[in-house]
Amino acid sequence: MVEGDCDVLVHVVAPPQVKPVHELSHAEWRVALDAGLDQRFHLARDFAAGRRAAGRGGAVIFVGAPEQALGSDQAAAAGALVNLTKTLGVEWARDGIRVNAVLSFEQGETLGNLVVYLASDYAAYVTGAITGVGLDDG
Amino acid sequence: MPVPDHHIIATPPPFEVPPYPADVFAGQTVLVSGGGTGMGLAMALAFAQGGAQVAVMGRSLEKALEGAAKIAALGVKVHAMSCDVRLPEQVAAAFDEAERVLGPITLLANNAGANFPVLAEDISVNAWNAVTRIAIDGTFLCSTEFARRLIARGQGGAIVNNSAQYIWTGFPGDAHSAAAKTAQATMTKKMAREWAPYGIRVNAIAAGFFPHETSTAGRREGGTEVLQNMIPAGRTGSIHEFGWLSAMTCTSFLAGLTGQVILQDGGESLRRSLMMPDYVPPRERVDGPWGWK
Repeated sequence: MVEGDCDVLVHVVAPPQVKPVHELSHAEWRVALDAGLDQRFHLARDFAAGRRAAGRGGAVIFVGAPEQALGSDQAAAAGALVNLTKTLGVEWARDGIRVNAVLSFEQGETLGNLVVYLASDYAAYVTGAITGVGLDDG
Repeated sequence: MPVPDHHIIATPPPFEVPPYPADVFAGQTVLVSGGGTGMGLAMALAFAQGGAQVAVMGRSLEKALEGAAKIAALGVKVHAMSCDVRLPEQVAAAFDEAERVLGPITLLANNAGANFPVLAEDISVNAWNAVTRIAIDGTFLCSTEFARRLIARGQGGAIVNNSAQYIWTGFPGDAHSAAAKTAQATMTKKMAREWAPYGIRVNAIAAGFFPHETSTAGRREGGTEVLQNMIPAGRTGSIHEFGWLSAMTCTSFLAGLTGQVILQDGGESLRRSLMMPDYVPPRERVDGPWGWK
């Protein structure tokens, strides 16, 4: 949970192991959705509540793998995350809280630099944006 | 209505404090189509803030020269040219001229565009051709001319295209530009994939509303003030933040970024629900920034 004062929430979920859908148990499905979607929402909600209480804006950046080429559990989580990002970006816009997502298979410098940009005031007009880095579908 | 005081509006740093070092484009030359005014000028200024030499291209040499003077004030070498981006010979000649004066072009900003509010049934063939071909053919011709030269030299580079947020939603009352900008965004992805092996990156900014002196909207009575509260971010965009993001996609900091259409619209295109104001068909719009009667 989010404690103390912070201006930026970066939430990273590393690309998981891909498992064929017919081998996926409900328990495994739940674990993936919990990490890829539920926990992200709860953390972002707590973060936003803290920012509102402080009367200050902030930035949320979700980082994870894109829905393509993943297992069905992660694909569902990533697809939901994309639309959650767009929704929260607008819902919290007037709290000065921006919400963006970066979808990537890599962990290179471009990913880091892009996240730093999105966290900064330079991205003050960027919210609800989904950007891919190092994807194979360019 | 004005934005209520208790809302928090995220704002960018001032123009004087760019997000990258002054030498990030040192030794490089950018060509900006439609770079004399508006969003193209903002792109050109942003590249200049990173130390790039700038070739400014415009339909009108006069406007290109005016923009060039503003860019040169930042202390970089600038060259202004006139060019109709719909004509391949003119595009090739402009690249020749720019490279003769400034050296090899390794960065390209496709910004040239035309746009004006009009009912679909009132769009003339000429108007349709002008708006679509400047954006679609212009982007194609400039990008391929650029890429051919880089590939021949074995040199990498980067392209950024000025797209629009309404590529995902359509734009009633603006069918020509809606079609044109969407084609341009699709092209961005295709070119990115084709040219990735040559180290040429291609990205686009799906821009929202960034008022400037040559934009059609905002020139009505009341200016852009009435627009602020319509946008989730609580304001229209500052044109320099558009310039910065455009230029930044071309920096080595984002060397792994290609084929992306990055949304920068303050949430404008995502604001849709049953809480919206009443729908007014374009032909019945009289007032407002995108009305035309």
